[in-house]
Amino acid sequence: MGDLGIPASRRERNPLIDEDGWRMLCFIREHSDAPRWNYRVGDRLLAQDLPAVDAFRRRIGEERPRWSAEPPAWLIDWIRSLRERVPLFRQRLPRGFDLCRDWAYLPTMSREDIAQHIERLVPTDADLSRLIVYETNGTSTCHALDVPNHPSCVARNHPLLEYALARHGVLPRFSNRHVACINVGAEARTVMFPSVFAVWNNAGFAKINLHTASWKPDRARRFFQALGPEFLTGDPVAFGELARWGIDYRPKALVSTAASLSVALKRQLEATYGCPVVDYYSTTETGPIAYSSPDGQGYSQLAPDIHLEILDEDGFPVAPGELGEIAVSGGRNPYLPLLRYRTGDFARLQPAGTQSDPAPRLLDLHARQPVLFRAVTGAPVHPLDIGYVLRTQLWVQHELLQRADGSLRLSIRPGLGQSIDRPALREGLLQLFGELEIEIVERPDLGEDRPGGKVIAYRSELSPV
Amino acid sequence: MKSEGPPLDSLTRRLAETPGIFLAEPIIRKRGKVDLAAVTSDLLLVIGGELQSPRQAKRFSPANIAQRNQARLALICCWLLYEDWFHQRTPLVEPIILLLSEGLSGLAGIVDAERFVADPERREELVRLVLRHLSLRPAGETANQAADRLKSLDSLERERIIREARAREEEERARKLRAEMKKKRAREAAAKANRE
Repeated sequence: MGDLGIPASRRERNPLIDEDGWRMLCFIREHSDAPRWNYRVGDRLLAQDLPAVDAFRRRIGEERPRWSAEPPAWLIDWIRSLRERVPLFRQRLPRGFDLCRDWAYLPTMSREDIAQHIERLVPTDADLSRLIVYETNGTSTCHALDVPNHPSCVARNHPLLEYALARHGVLPRFSNRHVACINVGAEARTVMFPSVFAVWNNAGFAKINLHTASWKPDRARRFFQALGPEFLTGDPVAFGELARWGIDYRPKALVSTAASLSVALKRQLEATYGCPVVDYYSTTETGPIAYSSPDGQGYSQLAPDIHLEILDEDGFPVAPGELGEIAVSGGRNPYLPLLRYRTGDFARLQPAGTQSDPAPRLLDLHARQPVLFRAVTGAPVHPLDIGYVLRTQLWVQHELLQRADGSLRLSIRPGLGQSIDRPALREGLLQLFGELEIEIVERPDLGEDRPGGKVIAYRSELSPV
Repeated sequence: MKSEGPPLDSLTRRLAETPGIFLAEPIIRKRGKVDLAAVTSDLLLVIGGELQSPRQAKRFSPANIAQRNQARLALICCWLLYEDWFHQRTPLVEPIILLLSEGLSGLAGIVDAERFVADPERREELVRLVLRHLSLRPAGETANQAADRLKSLDSLERERIIREARAREEEERARKLRAEMKKKRAREAAAKANRE
């Protein structure tokens, strides 16, 4: 134990925790209605990281992104500075390549580049001592993916979230005497933990899970009231559960992430909770990209250090207003420089927003459509949980369809020379869904008849959320 | 480099004066301005070859954006080979077909095509490379002189040396990174306020 009675293990997780922050963490952790915590984690932020986070916070407010058809000068300089240190950049940029003139011909990056050749993306001189790794779930795509990151980069997500909230008129209190945020999940299997964030003055935070295996609704209701979080984050499925569990705590805002939020659910949540509902577009690979504009007209670009493009199949920018795939260049992850990274999400680009936020906007955003599966009891089943079951097998692609009558059909393309353990898969799915009709079909040719071999991994006739 | 070819100077000067149309975008998947297959077919006739069938000519067309730089370099080479000296040199037809269809991919992977017009050293390199490909040496040079001079300019050779020097270092670094990621994956990361 240290001077303030803070255990060394906690100081390692939250190096900047203070006495009040520790009290806050203990208050959340030891609350009599708290869920069964199953994980410990902190922000791992050091004092030396804070000036950069503060500078970034100022920059977000002062330097709103402006869209241009040509890549901005800062981006060109950034790519040039990385060319010799990032093997993938070196490979894709022949000596003398004219970045300004020939930008549209620059090969795009994809999830496969990260999955298969991460060592070609991490700069050769990167200091790996504080590297952390996140696993993305591949909810709408296929495979899980390991994404390297740095605590100071993750910390810069906070001022981006603050900006989006402020644009919706929400100014949360960030102090070590308040709980800033509860992150709501609704999955059969996920981590739950309390923490504090140094960038929010050690304000409290809890990641909880609305699943009856780990918590009861009456305790959850009391827990929310006792903590009084300033705002909630969660995905659409989790917010749907929040209402279903009858949690009537009224935060200052709900921030929906991870899957796109339908207009109907957004309206329902606004009516139920009487607060702004911000739809937040962010991916593990890119960090936050855009937030739903308060005027309801699309999504405004958040960060000034990314360049957005809308591309056609060949990697050429489409005309402003046309639908195409969102690609991101730049970013702040020191281990993952993005060069025309195709997100797999689609939108139309509106080059400029309004006077209050002139940042470009994404209209008709088709990003990671949420897919709602239901168990025989009517409880939601999250694609993440299905992903955990599927991960026990070696496969190339899969398609899971839930029909309107609840029955399931899983088509799966096994890895080369592999076969699927059907009884194990069936057992895993039965545990999630209960006694529903489940058909499992091995299809070595799955996807071969689709453009680019892409399949829709999850579909449900019970969707949308 | 068995036979004597044209003088080096005339060819490097020709490259320096490459007309805009040979620097224009080759047509790739309906985008671009210049049909590389048509230009190449025409060149082969001038060299003394036979009329290419559409199927034969297709091998010169870039299939996708990834082949763009190679196609640009091929177009510049076409301009170079339109030089009077090459006209009606029928024995050169096959080597030229080989050069333009697949002989430029290595070079195009490391140097932007326009450098072979704008930069005097790269101009000389391209001329010497093309001549070597056709088993020719610049007029007035011995085979050894030509080989030595090309070696001193050879971008591919230089790239190979740099790659070799880097290879061990980068392999070691990749191994360390994978080990570090595996280790860190097993550990907790850093708390986030929201899922992404």
